[in-house]
Amino acid sequence: MSTDASHEVRPAVDSTAGRAPRTANEAGQQPGPKDGLRRKGLSERNRPLWMLIPGGVLMIIIIVVPLLLGIYMSILNLDQYTLRKWVSAPIIGAENFVEAVTNSPLLHAVWLSVSYSLLAMVVTLPLGIAAAVATQNAFKGRAVIRSIFLIPYVLPSFVVATVWRTMLQPGGIVDEALSTVGIHVGLWLNGPQTFWTLVLVQIWASWPFIYLLALSGLQSVDHEVHEASALDGALWWNKLRYVIFPYLKGPLALAFLIGMLHHINNFTLPFVLFGVPAPTDVEVLPILTYVTSFQSFRFGLSAAMAFISLVLIAIPLFVYLRAVKLDDADTPGAKK
Amino acid sequence: MRFKSTTGLAAIVTAAALALTGCGSSSGNGGGSTSSDGKVDGTGKTLSVLVNVSSQYPEQQKQWQSDIAAKFKAETGADVKFETFASANDELTRIQTSVVSGQGPDVYSLGTTFTPTAFATKAFVTLSDDDWNKVGGKDRFNPATLGISGPDKDHLAGIPFVSRPFVMAYNKDLLAAAGIDKPATSWDDLAAQAKKMTKDGTYGIATGYKDSFDPWKFIWAMSVQAGNPLVDGNKLKMDDPTVKKAYETYFGWLTNDKVVDPASIGWSNSNAVAAFASGKAGYLMMTTSSSIPTLDKSAVAGKYEYALMPTIAPGQTQSKSDGDAASILSGDNLVVADYSKQKDLAFAYIKLITSKDEQLNYQKTFGDLPANAEALATLTDAKLKPVADAAAKSKATPFTGAWGDIQLGLLNVTVQSIPDLAAGKVDESALDTRIKDAQNKGQASLDRASKG
Repeated sequence: MSTDASHEVRPAVDSTAGRAPRTANEAGQQPGPKDGLRRKGLSERNRPLWMLIPGGVLMIIIIVVPLLLGIYMSILNLDQYTLRKWVSAPIIGAENFVEAVTNSPLLHAVWLSVSYSLLAMVVTLPLGIAAAVATQNAFKGRAVIRSIFLIPYVLPSFVVATVWRTMLQPGGIVDEALSTVGIHVGLWLNGPQTFWTLVLVQIWASWPFIYLLALSGLQSVDHEVHEASALDGALWWNKLRYVIFPYLKGPLALAFLIGMLHHINNFTLPFVLFGVPAPTDVEVLPILTYVTSFQSFRFGLSAAMAFISLVLIAIPLFVYLRAVKLDDADTPGAKK
Repeated sequence: MRFKSTTGLAAIVTAAALALTGCGSSSGNGGGSTSSDGKVDGTGKTLSVLVNVSSQYPEQQKQWQSDIAAKFKAETGADVKFETFASANDELTRIQTSVVSGQGPDVYSLGTTFTPTAFATKAFVTLSDDDWNKVGGKDRFNPATLGISGPDKDHLAGIPFVSRPFVMAYNKDLLAAAGIDKPATSWDDLAAQAKKMTKDGTYGIATGYKDSFDPWKFIWAMSVQAGNPLVDGNKLKMDDPTVKKAYETYFGWLTNDKVVDPASIGWSNSNAVAAFASGKAGYLMMTTSSSIPTLDKSAVAGKYEYALMPTIAPGQTQSKSDGDAASILSGDNLVVADYSKQKDLAFAYIKLITSKDEQLNYQKTFGDLPANAEALATLTDAKLKPVADAAAKSKATPFTGAWGDIQLGLLNVTVQSIPDLAAGKVDESALDTRIKDAQNKGQASLDRASKG
């Protein structure tokens, strides 16, 4: 989110910074490169950085301290026997990490989490874009349709999962409906198919998010652009492909990133759908860390698992961030 | 941070709790002055009690709480503040936060099988003789209920509040129609009787394979009855043939005997109760007296009775367990937090709610059996006789901090076998693998327990 804020601030900074160096130059000091001056202008030095303090303190309390505590926990032998005096729990170094990698379903869980998130993302992207394009032009009842589209997004995850679980029960409404047309799918909530159940419900719950961001991208397209492409005689697909889609790249890249992280972190959906112990085919990361912490009471081990998964996910995330330049505030207009 | 949701959250809670309390904990044993006649004066104080929310009787629970609070106020001058938790997980989170921060409720109500885990945290008071006197004496309780209050009889932390032994219910009409004169006492008989009753959409047995607790209770019971208590010192004996036989019997109702509704692979216990209540099942397994209010309003009202569940293991002709092991020792224990600064007040509260009158009152409203021996003896309702019997013939699950993991392992074997159950056959080698997996994980947990 910090990237957004810096983009909002930039124009103001640029405009003042743009004026200030000129006065400095006119005064005949520091003939150095103009760009460098622009960067380190007077008004930039006077930026009220102290205003970051409240936010910074909150970040430290809410993010940095728990993160450090989590890392510290991961080298402790912390379980129900040592929890009470957890500060003095025995330090066992890397043992938790070794156990997490070699003797726990962690890697399987990482694989499940990433593949399920990716699958759900790949399906929701075209769905969301199509829905956004379909409701772009005004028509009678558009407001109603748009509101309906948002229902899965505003429903709490818990409600979504509970309703789906009820529908997917053996002999439930989904089975009944499918069997009237002669399809017998088998178990939804147990066994190998659970993975696909999870993907399906995740798609249902999360496509409106893509739709929302795609819609915001579409609305940033100037009216003139539509007119110009119409004058040039572009047909709808060419217009969509070469004129409109480039506008969507930014918002959709952001949607992809946030969506993936959200799926990988989604605990409520698999927990409510399948319960614990979960079928092995949906033992995703959050479920695994939860069970390790709160069913087996291996707090140290689960902290190690969480840390490993943090690192595993942070690497591609970092590469990705550099690639789409969402984190790049130094290059003006990088987001385009 | 987003990736670390649960652990991160736990850490946040921990850090916040630490910050807020400044690690404050003291061993004060005050909580009002105790006068010479043993009355505790708690004027101006508030006792905090954490109890399970009753999803079945929410209104009655509120009423009971306000009644008890009034009585407690009259007796000691102190207020009681009730907090509720909705699930075992919820409770666990509360306990963890309190354990780490050293503050929270003074009195907790714990399920019996969770007591060993709570005891392992050493965060609760192990009662001295003096403490027992403050709650009315150890003698006031039904001796069987003390079986899971601590690792041995001199180190007890759990004060029994109610018993909820498991029994089975049977439909008298269906049994009579199938020519069965009395309910089965061995698992083999049970299956045979159930077969006679299964026809035209009626099934011999109602049970839920997807329940979060029932499956391991069956396996535990059948194993114990065959002479294998699962935990023997520091050894887990889940790879014993008795355990496999138990799973085969339990799954066999569905796959071989075909005496349960195939839909029951998706059922929890409440679905099974509903099936029995509609008159579509001969036996309702693994139920408690708290099903009385439901069944009395259903189609089987007046047509059902309770009976002990079979106590003779599958393939056996007599019980090999010392004692009958009709049910796990089930119910609620009360524990007092070690960090509590008003322990005497806490004991006074426990004394009040475990008194004969209050226990009978509780039984009338909620159906749970009294832990108070005198109160238990006065129950004359014939329907409750087998339930009271089961209370006396209950056997405690192993008292180890590893029990949570072992229980999870037992349950997990069923969870992972459900697709096979749906297909109508549980593959033997797959079952072996699952049991072995549970054995390994459980043994590792036991090893840590013996070190802890």
